[in-house]
Amino acid sequence: MSGTLATTASGILSPEAVAARRDVVRQSSRQTLARRRLHGKVIQAACGVALLIALVPVVTLLAYTVSRGIGGLSVAFFTLFLMERRGKLAATVRFVADVMTGIPSIAIGAFAYALIVVPSHSASGISGSFALAVLMLPIIIRANEVAMRTVPADLIDAGVALGVRRSRVMRSVVLRGALPGIVTGNLLAVARAVGETAPLIFTVLGGTLLMATNPLHPMAAMPLTILNDGTQPQSSVQTIAWATAFVLLAFVLVLSIVGRAVANRLTRHAR
Amino acid sequence: VDEARGRRPLRRGGGHLYAGIRWTGALAFAAVAIALVVALVWQAAPALNHSGLGFIFDGTWSPDQDKFGAGIFIIDTLITVGLALLIAVPIGIGTAVALSELLPRRLAAPLSACIDLLAAVPSIVVGLWGLLVLVPLFQRHVGGFMAKVPLLGHFFGGPSLGTGLFIASVVLAVMILPTIVSLTRTAFNAVPIVDREAALALGGTRWQVVRRAVIPGGRTGIEAAVTLAMGRALGEAIAVSLVVGGGVTLPHSLLANGTTLGSAIVNDFSGAAGIQRSAVIGLVLVLFAFTAVANIGGQYFLRRRATAHTRRRFRQSAPVSAGAAA
Repeated sequence: MSGTLATTASGILSPEAVAARRDVVRQSSRQTLARRRLHGKVIQAACGVALLIALVPVVTLLAYTVSRGIGGLSVAFFTLFLMERRGKLAATVRFVADVMTGIPSIAIGAFAYALIVVPSHSASGISGSFALAVLMLPIIIRANEVAMRTVPADLIDAGVALGVRRSRVMRSVVLRGALPGIVTGNLLAVARAVGETAPLIFTVLGGTLLMATNPLHPMAAMPLTILNDGTQPQSSVQTIAWATAFVLLAFVLVLSIVGRAVANRLTRHAR
Repeated sequence: VDEARGRRPLRRGGGHLYAGIRWTGALAFAAVAIALVVALVWQAAPALNHSGLGFIFDGTWSPDQDKFGAGIFIIDTLITVGLALLIAVPIGIGTAVALSELLPRRLAAPLSACIDLLAAVPSIVVGLWGLLVLVPLFQRHVGGFMAKVPLLGHFFGGPSLGTGLFIASVVLAVMILPTIVSLTRTAFNAVPIVDREAALALGGTRWQVVRRAVIPGGRTGIEAAVTLAMGRALGEAIAVSLVVGGGVTLPHSLLANGTTLGSAIVNDFSGAAGIQRSAVIGLVLVLFAFTAVANIGGQYFLRRRATAHTRRRFRQSAPVSAGAAA
């Protein structure tokens, strides 16, 4: 009987499921049910512990940043005039394979340094924008590519079969279908770039808490403020770092949440 | 689709402009990638000429004497990244299993959303937390405790400074954990429910279902997650530089201070000029090479696996989601 089961099973189920079946049967002949259950419970407990271990540091991190940050906000409020200027090279480049996703952000900072800061003999906000744009580029490309892949091939085929130009298919079918993914991908890339510190050390320089509006000169940036103030020994200065971290974190989280919310909404509309 | 049908007569022409736009985009991106490598090599050339192969293999980094050898930095980088993966991968996979298989959906959904959001926490914030909260904690309690743990204690000799390689690994692990969890969870969720039901129907316990159906099905996703996490950990500079301490000798213990490639770049860049600055760019180049090798190697590995997979099973498993990857 088990033979018939196996043949029908392999007809319907994936080979993997069949392999799973074989293993389960092999195991159960060796172990009693109670032992297997116990084994399972132990591993489950281990997974639960892993979950706790994973949550504890991040939660304390959040708790610390929020509590310390809110406390320092009144002090920091006057020194924090939001200060970053961002370049965004997003929508134009969409069709390239992801070559650069793994490049460390600090390498991109050094690149912007070599390309812009060295020739112009001055750190500048613009060079920071350039570095962040290069940094975001592969993330955006990758996210958009994946978003477009989720558009059903049938829809694209239908468009092509009707003799529609490829550009038109792209605009009316692919882009429209992939819109939620594209919006999310771009927002998440912005969220990622906002928190980047390493490229800014090379380019924007920071160090000033005054409002700098000229992007051709060194500018302040939230991550640099955190870096500078967090490494000072005085706790009053550290408070400013916590507050800045709080603002930055809030910014990033709000951006991520909005990104996902927009994506959900658009997906619902598309259906 | 309605719009695509169009009222205008169907045309074949007009594709040139579109192709032009596509190619311009692609070429612009390729140009940026090439320019990046060229600019780095150009800036690093004086120092690389100066030190030759010693730049990688020599262990003395002494800008005052114009000696530039990144050997120690490379070793420290490998130690911290390896240890971070050792900590984060089991915890990450366990968490993903808990989220996708064990917890009730009511609990798992919000927790998963939280972890996805945590992947976006800027590394500088993690670094600040490591410096101001973890370092004092490690100095007072954790260092001494780890030294007493049997077997493991051998790796934790010497004074507990608070900063050091071990805490750098922990901070890195915290940083890459959300990435691993959310990618792995996505991969687990993509495993067809039939596989699970088959294992269940045959009397498998919950763990056996996970072990025999879910984990093999999500394997590609797990590997992708680890590759990505490794890349991020290798390239992370700021947070590590805050906690790693800055030792430039061969580390004798995990509690010893060290300097990774990233933290060396951060520390030495400001105030450096001439050949020293060029040497720092050289470090960037080395770091770049490391991450590139890790990524290309990982992708090659994954692709080969994936094709073997498809050939064997006529169906690709575990696509990795875009949102999580970003």
